[in-house]
Amino acid sequence: MLSRFSDVLQTAADVLAPPASRLEDFQYHWKMIIHFYQNYDDCNKIHIEDTRIPHHFHQMLQLIVDEEKEQQGGTVGPCLEAVVQRSICWLDALTALAAADRPPGARSLALTTGTALLRRTRQPFVNSAHVFRPLQRMLIQCNENPASPTEREEVELLLTLCGLVRKEPGLANIFTTPFVEDKSSLLSIPEDIQKLIPLKSKVQMPKKNPLFEVEMMPNPMRNISIVRTNSKDDSAVTKSSSSIADDNASCKSQKTVYEDNDKFLLIDLLLSYLNSADNQVVLRACEGIMIVSSLPEDDIANLVTSCSPVCETIIDKLAEKYKSIPPHTDPNDVDHLNITWAYVAQDFGDKGYNKFNGYRELTSFFSWLDYCDTLMKECHPCIAAHLSRTFRAQFLESAGELALGGAGSAGGARSATLAAALLAKCLRVVDSQELINEFSNWLVGEGEMSEWPLLLSLINNCLTEDHDLTLETLRFFETIIEKGTEHSINRLVLSRVCSRGYYAPQPLLEEDERDRLNDLSLARERERNREAMKQLQHEDHINEQINDILQHEGVDTKEQPDMENIHRVINSFLLLLPRAVLSDPVGADYEHYIHDAQRHYQLWLEITSTFSWPTEQGDNTASSTHSYDSRPEADIHLDEAFRPLHRTIDKDTWTTDNEHTKDNDTRDKTECFSQKLIIRSRDVTSSVAEDFDEGPFFRMLFKLLSEMHLRPYQVNLHLTSIISKLALMPHLYLHEYLLNPMLPTTKKTQTLFKTLQDLAKKLTMEIPRIKNYKKVIENTRLQLMSEDPSYDESGDHNQLVESLIVLEEFCKELAAIAFVKYQHGMHMHR
Amino acid sequence: MAYAYLFKYIIIGDTGVGKSCLLLQFTDKRFQPVHDLTIGVEFGARMITIDGKQIKLQIWDTAGQEAFRSITRSYYRGAAGALLVYDITRRDTFNHLTTWLEDARQHSNSNMVIMLIGNKSDLESRREVKKEEGEAFAREHGLVFMETSAKTAANVEEAFINTAKEIYEKIQEGVFDINNEANGIKIGPQHSTGGGASGAGGAGAGAAGGGCC
Repeated sequence: MLSRFSDVLQTAADVLAPPASRLEDFQYHWKMIIHFYQNYDDCNKIHIEDTRIPHHFHQMLQLIVDEEKEQQGGTVGPCLEAVVQRSICWLDALTALAAADRPPGARSLALTTGTALLRRTRQPFVNSAHVFRPLQRMLIQCNENPASPTEREEVELLLTLCGLVRKEPGLANIFTTPFVEDKSSLLSIPEDIQKLIPLKSKVQMPKKNPLFEVEMMPNPMRNISIVRTNSKDDSAVTKSSSSIADDNASCKSQKTVYEDNDKFLLIDLLLSYLNSADNQVVLRACEGIMIVSSLPEDDIANLVTSCSPVCETIIDKLAEKYKSIPPHTDPNDVDHLNITWAYVAQDFGDKGYNKFNGYRELTSFFSWLDYCDTLMKECHPCIAAHLSRTFRAQFLESAGELALGGAGSAGGARSATLAAALLAKCLRVVDSQELINEFSNWLVGEGEMSEWPLLLSLINNCLTEDHDLTLETLRFFETIIEKGTEHSINRLVLSRVCSRGYYAPQPLLEEDERDRLNDLSLARERERNREAMKQLQHEDHINEQINDILQHEGVDTKEQPDMENIHRVINSFLLLLPRAVLSDPVGADYEHYIHDAQRHYQLWLEITSTFSWPTEQGDNTASSTHSYDSRPEADIHLDEAFRPLHRTIDKDTWTTDNEHTKDNDTRDKTECFSQKLIIRSRDVTSSVAEDFDEGPFFRMLFKLLSEMHLRPYQVNLHLTSIISKLALMPHLYLHEYLLNPMLPTTKKTQTLFKTLQDLAKKLTMEIPRIKNYKKVIENTRLQLMSEDPSYDESGDHNQLVESLIVLEEFCKELAAIAFVKYQHGMHMHR
Repeated sequence: MAYAYLFKYIIIGDTGVGKSCLLLQFTDKRFQPVHDLTIGVEFGARMITIDGKQIKLQIWDTAGQEAFRSITRSYYRGAAGALLVYDITRRDTFNHLTTWLEDARQHSNSNMVIMLIGNKSDLESRREVKKEEGEAFAREHGLVFMETSAKTAANVEEAFINTAKEIYEKIQEGVFDINNEANGIKIGPQHSTGGGASGAGGAGAGAAGGGCC
């Protein structure tokens, strides 16, 4: 009833006097604000929230938003125009309130109102001097005094400005030193407003505000712009065209006109908030930096890298967070972390959350690393290049290198272990290609590998008696290989192998090889002994299995002339250990290994598809000595070729010359391979007698492999995992070097297969000495397969037997890899 | 407050479709007609109960504007659920769904449950996108669909809770590995001691498994 009455009254009033226009409403609220301050008494301790000021501000904002909805095609409404033309000095008032904080709380209100104005209006006309001058003045308030009570509001304003710059890059000019007025005028608030809202004391020079760290030019209003503006200035509104450099002037200067002292204030201010204790504030600063850095404009990117220390600050912070990780953090805890940026704040509140020593520091570090990585992926390529260089120089080379290299010093092993775990995790989680490249290049270096101290100390760390250090360093290498770049894999693995220097046909050695495969003494022994009968049955069983698998996998034994060879390769691995010591003589899981190998091989084919490794395509030129054998199954053909080659060598000297082989052009297909081999042998292994130097990395791997029985299970697992990854790589020579058991080499040249043979010999001799060894093998296998964590922790391990089981499984894996690569090659040639 | 699980959600979609309003309605049960443009991420949280279990939803409300896509993308990772929102009164917001979906699928894990939301169902008179079109799109892309109104709160609870139910079912089915936080699911503090220890052991043994099977 009452409401209806008031409606009637309102209608009557409207007839007498039409409703106030929006502008009149707007002016009314402004007058109320002026009225409040004219009568304001500082002794009055009222908080701004208890006054009508927030209401008036809110109404003014609402009026601007409402009128904008009705405006057509970017024209400006009367309320906003009054603000932009400064007939209503609202923005100046906000600036004064932010400085004076009168009554208490006004500062926060002024900042949020300013932010809201910029966020709610589609066209806030920031390029008008009457808008950006107050904004610049307001920025003075954003100087991140430690734990400033309004830091959240300050950083929101900054983020909003970043958002505006993101949409209109030319606005960046407003936040660079050449376009900021001189300090004194920046600090002074227009007189009329100052009279209204006087500052209690003289304005203090903000301490941490970068605006005040530089000497301003005497005439800062130079008509230049750092960022070429392409903003379609609505000059209808922004009459003060002096505020923004005209487009012509800025486009003329192809060279960006900034000087050493020039600063990108917006970014610099954001940087000062990165140290806030409030995660929300840090998050906003991070977002602001990312928004501006992701702009495609080259000028902005140059501004960011040249006029602000943003990359340096971000990476310094990373290094700082790295250094604050407690030295007694358990490396095992590092691996389970899964942290993305922006997420940190939530966890720390939960006290009951599973924390361990160093959890907070690790979380903080990896969260920051994720931010760096995300920033790398999103930012302008110029900034990315600068950031990744800084990442290497200020993080990897300063923080990482120190810890990794210091394993020899007192307590150094522990810190090197943790450093290996941390850096491996870093490499595992980074996703941006620039960071991965920088990381890889730092690790493997340039030039001769033996002269790259970091890599050598990592390799040495693997060879220490400290198993934890070995384990973490191996895992690091595993990650380096998984995240391998063409450069890092070439340097680490291929630099020696790709010369094929290991290849040296030796008649005598070949006899050895044959002996090994068909050991006479073993054969005699077999006849005597029941166990040997089983071994024979076992071998038959393996052979049948292999046939089954080959057929099942669609390799027709009859169709493929090379079948016998792949059979022999697989046999060499699977029969490396005699049945008597096998923990799983049935070999029930070959299929599993084959499927794993297929999956992983596909991955490697994809990873290396962009590498300039020799492939079968493009090798048709007659001059190419590598032609046929670029296929992964090169070993088979090498071996196939090897028999006729051997005959040739018997007849003549082994360095059969080219003429001779040419005479034999009519030989059958098989013998053609030998021809190629001979040619290549002459080309590549010019000094036959020389032993092959496999380089420090392979030397380390082989050494660890030969000592598997002396090292814990986990170390051996990672060691074999690294080698199987290398064996999976689709590289001709690496494949041959690792997966061809019949590879002819000089006696002293170390190969994977020889190392495995030696180890197998050692284990076959040692293990039967263990009392009741078959039972021990059986139990150990059960325990390893049970994946019971308490077993890992118990001290009761039979390392010798464990290493036997790892070797047994490793052989199956290698056989599967060899088979899968062969199979792939067959498919490719169909 | 103790919870059994924590699910991370993201809300995505064009600018102005009402993402922030949906969040506000869900967490604070109120509607705010004028909302500031979202630039960075805004967080919201609320506890719900499914199957007698307390579940904390941690919701990341993202910016819809194209200009801020670079940061929006980086928040997709590790989300268990997503609300993909369009405005039934603006066809262009519906037309952009494919792009959003591609973006989401590319930057998040494949098991993420996506709920398609046609918001502003209270503005029936201004409707530009038929309900059937939303349903068809959802069917085609394997999403759950619902029309909501952040203003009247219609279906808002349901949208968030049904997404959580779907995630919960996936956990029961073993689709989500709850020990891997990259899936956007965390086990609550009360489980942490047991869960932490077996997680550590499991990973060690997992490596062993890699070598043996």
